[in-house]
Amino acid sequence: MAVIGVARFIQQRQDFEDAIARSYQVEMVARERIASGAGGKAARAAVAREGQHRSELRDQISGDTRDTALLVAAGLIAGLTGALLLFSGLISSMRRPLEELVDAAGRLAAGDRSARVEVGGLSETATLGAAFNEMAEELEREASQRDQLDRLKDEFVLTASHELRSPLTSVQGFAELLMLERESLTPRQLETVEVILDNCRHLVRLLNDLLDLARSDAGRLAIRPEPTAVAPLLDDVVRTMRAQTDAADQTLTENLQPDLPLIEVEPARIRQILVNLLTNAHEYCPEGASIEVMARAVDAEVEISVSDDGPGIPSEQLERIFERFTRGDAGLTQRVGGTGLGLAISKSLVELHGGTIEAESTVGRGSTFRFRLPLAPGAAVADGPGRAPAEAS
Amino acid sequence: MARILVADDSETILLLMRTRLEMAGYAVDTAGDGQEVLESIADNGLPDLLLLDAMMPRMSGIDALRELRSAGSEIPALIVSAHQNPGDADAPTDLAIDGYVTKPIDFDRLLETIAELTA
Repeated sequence: MAVIGVARFIQQRQDFEDAIARSYQVEMVARERIASGAGGKAARAAVAREGQHRSELRDQISGDTRDTALLVAAGLIAGLTGALLLFSGLISSMRRPLEELVDAAGRLAAGDRSARVEVGGLSETATLGAAFNEMAEELEREASQRDQLDRLKDEFVLTASHELRSPLTSVQGFAELLMLERESLTPRQLETVEVILDNCRHLVRLLNDLLDLARSDAGRLAIRPEPTAVAPLLDDVVRTMRAQTDAADQTLTENLQPDLPLIEVEPARIRQILVNLLTNAHEYCPEGASIEVMARAVDAEVEISVSDDGPGIPSEQLERIFERFTRGDAGLTQRVGGTGLGLAISKSLVELHGGTIEAESTVGRGSTFRFRLPLAPGAAVADGPGRAPAEAS
Repeated sequence: MARILVADDSETILLLMRTRLEMAGYAVDTAGDGQEVLESIADNGLPDLLLLDAMMPRMSGIDALRELRSAGSEIPALIVSAHQNPGDADAPTDLAIDGYVTKPIDFDRLLETIAELTA
């Protein structure tokens, strides 16, 4: 419409200019005649008439221009409106599929691997939808393969450590049998049996640790928490460890806040954590070192810590200390009997109880590992000297 | 002298168990699986204690004990499990079990438990 208007406008303008030119020509001829004296009344009338004619032409053209401009404007508006209508139609037919796509992408990102969109509508959105579905399909395939591999790995570790336990039972059992008859063994035979037994114990630790980690990875490391008194548990672990620390001339002390509230834990697991931490302190510290076990109530938790004045842990190692197979100074690991899994397991276990664990160390000064455990339901925090000041509420 | 029936599918473990238990003064019968446990009891009558491996081919120690319990027997029974925490896998809550023994076996503890159960 606008195009037609513009074409018509150009034609009108051309016609107008031609008419004006012709009018001037007629007037010029008449004026020449007047100038040469050949003209007369008719020539003067022609001049006046042409002037009048041009004036009329100009009025007409300005009216036409306005009409044409209006026409052009109307055409433009109509065109734009049409385009807009068309576009809004497009938008609304795209909006549903796009909203669906956004929704499905959100669900996919949130872990719903079955998120798909309905493919249909405009070819553009249909293509987009099909591409999304294909991607989601691929992701689901990869995820299920990964899950399957993870399950296989967990199953493998569980089965392997289970199967290894039987022959290990025999090796350890018969070595112990020899030890029962130690009077009849030569010193060299006795030493040999002791080496076998040491290695059996190490294997058992490794198997137990691997099993715990595999269970933890598979989400199958379960705990059975019960209201537990802190002091007897710590006393018992310290008593067990004392033989080893005494042999290395290390001082092992306990510093427990009196009247600690009950904690909600599985005692065997807390024992396991403490044995891990104390064994580390014992094995990484030189002879004559001091190791201290502390416990105090902090807010609504009990904090237990194991500190030593040993060689300490460099900060780059400290950052990764709770990762599996991260161990202290390689020079020491020859002497150290750990599996490299103890702290990773301790962290899993503390977190399984809803607690937190952290490590702090200064090279040359010593290390402190501290973890916090939740109180048993209804256990009151007794006021004691080690208690953190109550917060103003 | 108390009589103990030990079941395990490993000959080596049976030999180990027999040796340690006999050294401690017990009479020992052995079985290779749960089926043999039931056969041994049918032939020789009930022993004073059962020491059964949880997982054995043909019939597990758990299943053998379940049969005995459903027949009304209240014989003391210990379950030997290769699981570190036997409660994880080999602990049926509906069965009366007097204790769990984990592999590798801590014989000092096992002998203490047996002494209590056969006293």
